Amino acid sequence: MNDVSYRYPRSKRWVVTHLSLKIKQGEFVALMGENGSGKSTLCQMMNGIIPNSVGGRLVGQVLIHGLDTKETGISVLATKVGIVLEDPETQLFTTSVKSEVAFGPENLSLPPEEIEERVRWALEVVRLAGYEDRLPTSLSGGQKQRLAIAANIAMRPDILVLDEATSQLDPVGVEEVLSVVRELNQKYGITILMATDASEMVARLMDRVVVLDQGQLEADGTPGQIFADTGLFKKLMIRSPQVSQLATRLKNEGHALPAFPVTVPEASKGLQILLKGTSPVLHVEQTKLAANTSQAPAIQVEHLNYIYQPLNVHAVKDVSFEIQQGEFVALIGQNGSGKTTVLKNLLGLLRPTDGKVIVAGQDTHTTAVAEMARHVGFVLQNPDQQLFAETVEEEVAYGPKNLKLEKGLIEQRVADALKLVGLEDKRQEFPPALSKGDRAKVVIASALALDPSIIVLDEPTTGQDYRGCHQIMQIAQSLHKQGCTVVFVTHHMALVAEYAQRVIVLCGGKLLLDDVTEGVFARPEVVRQAYIIPPQITELGQALPVGLGLPRNPLTVQTMSAAILSRFNHKK
Amino acid sequence: MSSLIAYYPGKTIFHRLDPRAKIIFMLLVSTAIFTVQEITIALIVLVIMILFWIIARLPVRVLWGFMKVLLPIIGFLFIVQAIFYPGTTPLIKPLIPIGKGYGQITLDGILFAVLLALRLMAMIIMLPLVSFTTPVQNFALGMVKMGLPYKLAYTMTTALNLVPILQMETGVIVDAQRLRAMQSFEKGKLGDKLRAYPALVTPLVIGSMRRAQLMAVAMDSRAFGASKSRTYLEDIQLHPWDWVFIILTVAFSVVTVLGSYLL
Repeated sequence: MNDVSYRYPRSKRWVVTHLSLKIKQGEFVALMGENGSGKSTLCQMMNGIIPNSVGGRLVGQVLIHGLDTKETGISVLATKVGIVLEDPETQLFTTSVKSEVAFGPENLSLPPEEIEERVRWALEVVRLAGYEDRLPTSLSGGQKQRLAIAANIAMRPDILVLDEATSQLDPVGVEEVLSVVRELNQKYGITILMATDASEMVARLMDRVVVLDQGQLEADGTPGQIFADTGLFKKLMIRSPQVSQLATRLKNEGHALPAFPVTVPEASKGLQILLKGTSPVLHVEQTKLAANTSQAPAIQVEHLNYIYQPLNVHAVKDVSFEIQQGEFVALIGQNGSGKTTVLKNLLGLLRPTDGKVIVAGQDTHTTAVAEMARHVGFVLQNPDQQLFAETVEEEVAYGPKNLKLEKGLIEQRVADALKLVGLEDKRQEFPPALSKGDRAKVVIASALALDPSIIVLDEPTTGQDYRGCHQIMQIAQSLHKQGCTVVFVTHHMALVAEYAQRVIVLCGGKLLLDDVTEGVFARPEVVRQAYIIPPQITELGQALPVGLGLPRNPLTVQTMSAAILSRFNHKK
Repeated sequence: MSSLIAYYPGKTIFHRLDPRAKIIFMLLVSTAIFTVQEITIALIVLVIMILFWIIARLPVRVLWGFMKVLLPIIGFLFIVQAIFYPGTTPLIKPLIPIGKGYGQITLDGILFAVLLALRLMAMIIMLPLVSFTTPVQNFALGMVKMGLPYKLAYTMTTALNLVPILQMETGVIVDAQRLRAMQSFEKGKLGDKLRAYPALVTPLVIGSMRRAQLMAVAMDSRAFGASKSRTYLEDIQLHPWDWVFIILTVAFSVVTVLGSYLL
């Protein structure tokens, strides 16, 4: 890429400005940056969709193997560059796995024998051989993304672009996709460009990280170089791996590790050298939170069973738990573990097949959903599935209006809700035009305007960047401080460790664990059954030799660094 | 209610028929159903459709679902036809004479209502009989082979493919708004329901537009429309059995249509 600038049609803003970038054949490159930094635009430039299909104005040159994308047909570029998108549903359009993979080669008018051979090869590479006749919609998230990869590599491209292709997947799905992508890179020499936020993964797998900011190249280097650059991360709000964050904190206190770590083994080695000669300090156990048991529980689930008809799928099996008013609980588990079914039962969207669910004193069996809405605020994973009003204000007022509250009270509620999420100055804006983070906040405000005593968030941080994630979780935290019960579902373990007091783990429709957060992550062998991997910093604690006397299951970088630093202070 | 568009995988004779044969079947048989005037013939058509349903090993439960939806419509037809059909064989004297021949329940009216009901049932079985047993892309292929341009055929079938996705999406949106205390879909007057619509339709439309844009990216990256002479992995060929089926369909339709007029 040579000095490329681009703006979308009917837009004056240049999304990409004077960007030059060279990627060599066979490289494995991560593309990082905040939402809106131009990552997706760059991805779509690679195969000429921008500007050939989308339009707009592209200045400069994008060369793929010497071919100028502006002058090369999309069908030619399609055989050079494949692209996998974030949402699996948008890229699968046929009714069988086999025909999905054959779709591209068919468009190229290849002879049927050749297509047959390519389909066989592509499905084998992504480990979906034997699935030929399955319906793409019946596959799991990870399988769908692997199918999308197969459909692209069947075109035999030299380059594969993945635009946030793992961000909607659960940890197992992410691993499945990554191992396939890595094999494509190592065994078949395909160049990989992967837009992602998952820095731990980047550190583990990639050779090179390219960081974008506002359409410009901000940094370019190995993961070690990039993640060591603290200034960069402060400025851009990108998350570096937790062990890198730890190393940075230690360095700022004058205790730099011998080599800057990006992975657990590196950090573990470094720490052992650093701490040589210091003596363990008695580690003070964290006081456990005393649950408020005097009141009736906020949520009471007794022997909940749920069977989906007509297919007779037993999604939730005899699950029981109680959540007290004012708790902050994470509900985790792999996709298909029954999390969503449990949530829907809490909200009254589903009625238990057997067992009892009592939420805020209401038996969901006999309470209308709209009535439940007074007590339980629900924040949907994808804000775009509920925003419809012309202004933020109207959007937030929708719920209270449905409850037919009086005008003054509605205004009060809207004002309070918007203040809490920090959108007071955006009252008059058009919701779909807001940034993704702000759209999520509008949805949270809409739920809050009903003044619920319980708030349920279903994967609220999916598709959000680091800044967005933490803003959302901080809103949840401030609600919690006001006495609200918070239940959230997520795949993001670092957030669980940082925010939740208690964790409920579901696996195969059954309750696997229910404990304080530290207690859950202290049992990695158990949570791994639910395909959950503790946060990197916890893994570091578990990887260090016991004799070192550091916390075994630190939940946050802060805890760990405080523990290490106390050793040095003690020495003095 | 189940969707009319879905694919139930299977290996029955019906599944293996050439999509062209099935398209012809669909077109001719619907013409026949629309023109049939005789109750006995309509009954025969319906029985054959049910037989096909069983041969294609499609779930009987789904069939029941369709019938349950049809039942009120059929009931309504009976009332309307019984009262308003200008028949000549009164069964019951009119309670309120509306006009000559109207307002009395006649045998002709009842028979006509029976005929309409049979036609309706035959139709509602025939359509899914084809759509449930044919993968959407084979439909496209059939249409292309019958002379339609590929892009047009593909656009049509993609639209069909999107129906279940949109249905799912609608479900999510309705749930989300219900949790914002939208009540009108559980109970409420027509006016309230209409007022509730923007909250459902807006996210659906905006979402579909986003999806369409991304789909275009994905399709372009797989060289959609690269050449006019696209190849097909699973090429379709009319086997002797397909010809037999087509001839039977034609014969059957002709007999049905003519039979109605000649009898």
